[in-house]
Amino acid sequence: MKKDLSRLLSLLLCLLLTLGAFSAVCAEEALVDAPFEGLVEGLPAIQAPEGFDWRQFEGTTINFISENTTPSTAIAANIDLFERVTGIKVVIEQADLNAVIEKVGLDVNARTAKYQVAYLDPQQIMAKNKDNFIDLNKFNNDPTLPHVPGGLEDFFESQMMCCGYMGDTDKLLALPYDNATIILGYRADVFENETYKKAFMDEYGYDWTPNPDMTWDQYYEVAAYITREAAAGNITEVKYGCGMQAKQHDSLMCEFSCVLAANGGDYFQAENLGSIGAYNPGPAALDSEVAIESAAFYKKLYGVADPSSTSWDWSGLAEGYAAGNLAMICEWHEFSADFENPSKSQVVGKTKWTITPKGTVRNACIYGGTGIGISAYATEEEQKAAWLFLVWATSPQTQYLCLTSESGGSTPTRYSVYALPDVARGISDPDSEEAAKMPNLKSSGAVQLAWATENSYLRPKIPAWPQCDTIIYTELSKMLVGSLSPEDAMRSANEQLNELTGN
Amino acid sequence: MNKARELRAHRRGILHDEKLTERLMITPAIIALAVISIFPLLYMLYISMFDYSMSVNNPTFVGFQNWARVLKSKTFWACWKRTGYIAGIGISVQMVLGIAVALLIYRLPKGQNVILTLFMLPVFVAPIVAGLLGRFLLNSTYGFYSWILSTFFGYSEELFANPTGAVIGIVAIDVWEWTPLVTMIVLAGLQSMDLEVLEAASIDGASYLAKLRYVIFPLASRTILVALLIRSMDILRYVDTITIITEGGPADATRTSGYYLMQTAFRFQNFGQAAVMGIIMIAVISVLGKLFIRLMGRGVM
Repeated sequence: MKKDLSRLLSLLLCLLLTLGAFSAVCAEEALVDAPFEGLVEGLPAIQAPEGFDWRQFEGTTINFISENTTPSTAIAANIDLFERVTGIKVVIEQADLNAVIEKVGLDVNARTAKYQVAYLDPQQIMAKNKDNFIDLNKFNNDPTLPHVPGGLEDFFESQMMCCGYMGDTDKLLALPYDNATIILGYRADVFENETYKKAFMDEYGYDWTPNPDMTWDQYYEVAAYITREAAAGNITEVKYGCGMQAKQHDSLMCEFSCVLAANGGDYFQAENLGSIGAYNPGPAALDSEVAIESAAFYKKLYGVADPSSTSWDWSGLAEGYAAGNLAMICEWHEFSADFENPSKSQVVGKTKWTITPKGTVRNACIYGGTGIGISAYATEEEQKAAWLFLVWATSPQTQYLCLTSESGGSTPTRYSVYALPDVARGISDPDSEEAAKMPNLKSSGAVQLAWATENSYLRPKIPAWPQCDTIIYTELSKMLVGSLSPEDAMRSANEQLNELTGN
Repeated sequence: MNKARELRAHRRGILHDEKLTERLMITPAIIALAVISIFPLLYMLYISMFDYSMSVNNPTFVGFQNWARVLKSKTFWACWKRTGYIAGIGISVQMVLGIAVALLIYRLPKGQNVILTLFMLPVFVAPIVAGLLGRFLLNSTYGFYSWILSTFFGYSEELFANPTGAVIGIVAIDVWEWTPLVTMIVLAGLQSMDLEVLEAASIDGASYLAKLRYVIFPLASRTILVALLIRSMDILRYVDTITIITEGGPADATRTSGYYLMQTAFRFQNFGQAAVMGIIMIAVISVLGKLFIRLMGRGVM
């Protein structure tokens, strides 16, 4: 009797498993490709449950606010592809990052949901506004809606953690949308000039071409040498060895981070604040020897850089480089497409990229990627329409489309895009036809190296970061113009950070 | 006796009705004022008691802590000090230039209106556009004025890259934009002067400088004070150009109280402390306005 019962139970179990497997297969089969144009073979397609009405939100308007970066420009240039299929009107507003922070802050504070979709800078917007954006898992797990094509695992894991979550992984706040990273750009025509190269080699005894093993001290030496030789008229292609994004602005903190973290320093003593984030960062770490030495080095570097650097943020630095004045810059890699655009640049075809120089501990390229999320105050219908936009805008298909966009392109946030043969070819050979077609690929080799854990730096993700950031770059700015010594600047910043965070 | 009493009562009734009508007539204005000024002010007082630093949605009541923090903050007072000297330099230059140009235009026998209209053009430019113009024209990479400075004066750095240059640049843009307004107001005062007094001074053999000192300035003093009042109140809130060009830098050289207030409110989303700063700014501007109005009432100058 017992044997029969166990046989019956085994049979039932088998039947259940078979049914489960069958229904899973059926469910997968029930997904159909979305009717978007320009699908590329080899990439996960945007899919929806069979019978899904892509036009159910027709007539809805979605306002999307974003920083004025190339991914948004490319999305804006191709938005008709989305609008034609869904009937949803997407209004894309692009502004400086500071303006985006202010507008999103005001919008969520007023709970008006003027912007249904927002560019959620992880440190400056998301960290303080966790409750103001919806949990995207709600839609991604909804069987009646399209899901993230390729799954969340197709995003780079570290980028997903930084851009998607705050404090814990319970709530998915945003999907990675762009992934700007600071790397080192240099003028190949200057560095590959045999006469110049030999002259430097004779004086300093090493090859001056920037590469992953170049140290910050060497970077300084090369910059100083070029500035000196350019002033003497011996190097004619550029005016200065380097430029810096040293305006009293977020950019100053970003660039300084590449020096500080390379020397093993950080802004707070707690570790891993940049990944998942924290609400209390603990004591500040800017009174350390490493921080003071890094600040002193940064000031020394300014002494040989273009003196206009203290008025340049990342855009000013890019303009200075594109005008042909600078031999080396540490710049967000997304500008690489601009440098290859003849209408914006006088250095087309002359730029090569590598990761930022090595400090006493490692190379540290600051990651500045951002996600996009949906306002918690939008209506249910707007949220669902916004979800369709998020699925489309962050999909591998659209990421590839943007990469090839004539308006400047972007850098994909998906593994699957980098696995495409033409993309892989463009990365491995920056002089290839593919790289010419997708100019951002010229920097992608260096960018991928920069994303390796040992070379990457993530700034702290804490609610008080905008104020911490302001304190840091203000004190650094005082140091650069000589109002404060490096030691006083770092100690003053340290004291203010501790006071602000209550540590 | 009764009649007189009735008459008084009747008059009181009329007066009462008249007062009631007056009150009813100004009621809409009082409501409008309450909506646009008094309620926001009360709301500012209310939010100044809350801490928004950790979360915008769930501020915590902190009593007068924000007031204490702001009033004890070195940065806050440093910003006011900076605002003081930027405003002082800016207003001095604008007043001197504005009055000088007004006197020049006033002496023109013909074409006063055309010249004044052309001179007034910068006033019609939005401050944010003035900031952008300054930023582009003085950009060391492609700016036209920077090219002139570099080619003819050997100054190749960007003006906004050092603290002194940044203050000069920021003040210069404000002077460029608002001096014409001072000119227009002062010119209106000059044109309303009694010409007989000037003619009498001329017949008495007064020099132009004497006429300026003893006739023109005393007669135009009220309009000059009006210009001074408007510009003083306005320059304390000078933020647009600073936001566009220097963002308070370099080394805090252009971080005025208005810019710091904007940063605290919109960048840090620390609305409690921003409310405190806003109330202090309103108080300063009100005291300044009151001072000028009192001077005008006394007929100073």
